[in-house]
Amino acid sequence: MTALLEITDLWAGYGRQQVLQGINLHVDEGTVGVILGANGAGKTTTMRAISGMIARQGSVLFQGSAIGAASPDRIVHAGIAQVPQGRGTFTDLTVEDNLRAGAFVRKNVGASIDADIQQWFGVFPRLAERRLQKAGSLSGGEQQMLAIARALMSKPTLLLCDEPSLGLAPIITQELFEVLGRLNAEHGLSILIVEQNANLALRIAHNVFVLETGTITASGTPSEIAQNDTVRKAYLGY
Amino acid sequence: MAITITESSAKHWALRFVGVATLAGIAIYFASGAAPSTLGKITEACTLAIAAIALNLLLGFNGQISLGHSAFAGLAAFTAGYSVNAWHWNPWLSLLISCAVCFAFGMLVGLPALRLKGSYLALVTLAVAFVWPTVARKFLNQTVKQSTLTGMKLKPPTWTGLANNRADRALFLFWLSITLLIVAYVVVRNIRKSRIGRSLVAVRDNETAAAVMGVNLPLTKTITFGISASLAGLAGWLTAAQLTTLDENSFTILTSIKYLLALILGGAATLAGPVVGAFVYYFVDDLLKTNAPHWDFLPGPLSNGPVASFLLGAVVIAFVFIAPTGFVGLIKSQTRRIAIVVPRPLRHSTVAEASVEESESP
Amino acid sequence: MGDILQYFLNGLARGSIYSLVALGLVVIYQGTGHLNFAQGEMSLFATFGAWWINDHGVPLWLSILLAASFAFVGGGVIEFGLIRPAAKKSPFAVVVVTIGLFQAFNSLSGLLFKGAATGLSFGTIFPNKPKDFFRLPGGAVWRYENIGVLLTVLVITALLFLLFRKTKVGLAMRMVANNADSAKLSGVPTNKVLMLSWALSAAIGTIGCALVAGINTNVSLGTMFGVFLLASAAAILGGLDSPLGAVVGGLSLGVIESFVTNYPKDWWASTYIGADTATAAAFVIILVVLLARPSGLFGSTHVERV
Repeated sequence: MTALLEITDLWAGYGRQQVLQGINLHVDEGTVGVILGANGAGKTTTMRAISGMIARQGSVLFQGSAIGAASPDRIVHAGIAQVPQGRGTFTDLTVEDNLRAGAFVRKNVGASIDADIQQWFGVFPRLAERRLQKAGSLSGGEQQMLAIARALMSKPTLLLCDEPSLGLAPIITQELFEVLGRLNAEHGLSILIVEQNANLALRIAHNVFVLETGTITASGTPSEIAQNDTVRKAYLGY
Repeated sequence: MAITITESSAKHWALRFVGVATLAGIAIYFASGAAPSTLGKITEACTLAIAAIALNLLLGFNGQISLGHSAFAGLAAFTAGYSVNAWHWNPWLSLLISCAVCFAFGMLVGLPALRLKGSYLALVTLAVAFVWPTVARKFLNQTVKQSTLTGMKLKPPTWTGLANNRADRALFLFWLSITLLIVAYVVVRNIRKSRIGRSLVAVRDNETAAAVMGVNLPLTKTITFGISASLAGLAGWLTAAQLTTLDENSFTILTSIKYLLALILGGAATLAGPVVGAFVYYFVDDLLKTNAPHWDFLPGPLSNGPVASFLLGAVVIAFVFIAPTGFVGLIKSQTRRIAIVVPRPLRHSTVAEASVEESESP
Repeated sequence: MGDILQYFLNGLARGSIYSLVALGLVVIYQGTGHLNFAQGEMSLFATFGAWWINDHGVPLWLSILLAASFAFVGGGVIEFGLIRPAAKKSPFAVVVVTIGLFQAFNSLSGLLFKGAATGLSFGTIFPNKPKDFFRLPGGAVWRYENIGVLLTVLVITALLFLLFRKTKVGLAMRMVANNADSAKLSGVPTNKVLMLSWALSAAIGTIGCALVAGINTNVSLGTMFGVFLLASAAAILGGLDSPLGAVVGGLSLGVIESFVTNYPKDWWASTYIGADTATAAAFVIILVVLLARPSGLFGSTHVERV
């Protein structure tokens, strides 16, 4: 299996504060990678560094080309879409406009975008019902679905999800991970998720990385990680 | 390697003493030799500094923008000028009354401010500044029945031993403005260093969090507006003391913008910022006005006035890039290479350390 | 009845100009949260440019279009060269830079154009002979020039709304306005969008200023001062992040101003209200509106998390 995303010795932070201190991780084609970490471990920073939202140093290879210094819009063009923490929907835009916004980088016009909108409305039927409502009026779970659908509209090869379960009811979270799992299994989408909710995330993961204060302290398959005592205590709670 | 100095240590006090002594020395030097016109300029700079200090309390420490401070200054100046001339009040009584009037009016303007933020608040206060000249003109037409209002013609009290001539009056106003500047500085400094000051900053940084911690938001914000307005009134009173005549154009929106520029160029939310900024702004402006070239190669200018004005705009913009956190910030970052002032250790530090150890042990 | 209609029509003409300048302010504010204090003076400078081009024998309408295109480029350059670097420095930096630009552009106009301080005569692209008007029922007069100004503003506004609603660039502008981070993550080159906002805003402002100059029949260093103040009031009345609000705010402010200026002659002592207090009265009304709706009539309210 070839690595779709290969990160080597990534450093990033805010101002003089270095949050990430040399991270190594990889996402293979067609797999789901999960980064586990506590608050302040640097999960969101990792995501923002991959997407080019903050200054960073180190090597980020995506499909073999270096994107470690590219601007956010170049990275979206390359095929990485991110669902930011706190959903980041365009609250003043309608649901449909949000999806069009997601397709911003696509050159092909009208018809194929409309077809895709219909396709994601099929996956997320509740969004179809609220097609012309402003996104700000949706519930938290619906907004999270919308954020994912929006990211998918750019036809990404790799989807980054920053704590999708944040602020959602357990049942909604469960539904969300089922959708993510299906996207991977049925559409062959590669996904990188950062989560605190380890139980659900491990269920759909192929590879797991444990992030602690800016470095990866353990990695492996979900079953390997589940056998690691310290990790199990910290993130799985048994 | 920079020297570290502990706050409030003997060294720090010595440094402060040297600083104050230097400033006092400069003041005495000017008082003993400078021409009345130079003293007048310093007096005007001090007046601007007081207004900038007033704005700093509101904007720098409490996060409420006001473009209406020219109106407060104008209100105080007119109150003083009219009460002294028409009712023959004692000028010193008029100082108290002017500040009190401004305090009340400031609280009133502070009320809408409770609901507004940022640009919206800027506009409402801008409206106050915009309405003031109209009110002043109406007042001059209807009540004074003249196009100008006479200033206070403040005479030096006899105990100073100064005569009532131009030179001595300039000297008196010079010391008076410095005294009032120190008063304004000390008032804001003491507010800032007190419990109230911390609640002001808390409101600025996060209103909701401050309210949850028990800060009375409406009271804090309106009182701050009131105090800030009365300090602006102090500057207005001082202006009335300097000028022989006042009219509706003595305090316009441009005056407010001048206060704002002085504050931001010096460094908002620092104690020394507004003072330094006011002096820098005033004397850069003055320097340009007197020394700007004529630029006759351009078709437009009849005098060097527009050149000076253009250069001032350019200097202001350049300044933002040279010292984004203001002049005081620039000085601090430069002197940090030589000496750093560190906060004094907590008095009960041993207890704190012990409790940390305790919590880590299990 | 005729008088009321007349005041309304007069107010509509001035109000439409406030709308246009306010739209320029909103286009910048919605993307960046910056209020461009130099908006009026930048467009004033470009309008002097239009005067200069016209003075060299180019038809007025073409001169104005050329000046607006010059302002378009200039606006983009200013965003790229001054505003963007300043925004990285400190929150106050942009405010100070725009105030500095205000001063610099006003004096630059005085330096480059002889007679700018006292005023240069400026033509109008609409018929404005004494008899160029419709007579409406009740005796009110609707001048062709006022109709022309109103139509120009409406056409520009309609074009802007088409841009916002129907084009990809417009979608990008709305995305940046609503959530800059998410816009970046969706692949929008936000820097280019902001540059475009400043460019558009400068061009819109220039047309607004040229229309004012046409109504006043001259352009001077003081032309935009009051207009800018009222336009920013209009933008805030409507809600700074709402283009629709800017239009509604501008038109209603123009009408309010016109009524306050003219009406009290009939029924109130004109010593206390009247032409010289019109602007003041308009501000008082805005204050009342803002107290009821702190984000303006159409502005969006934001919920803050602690």
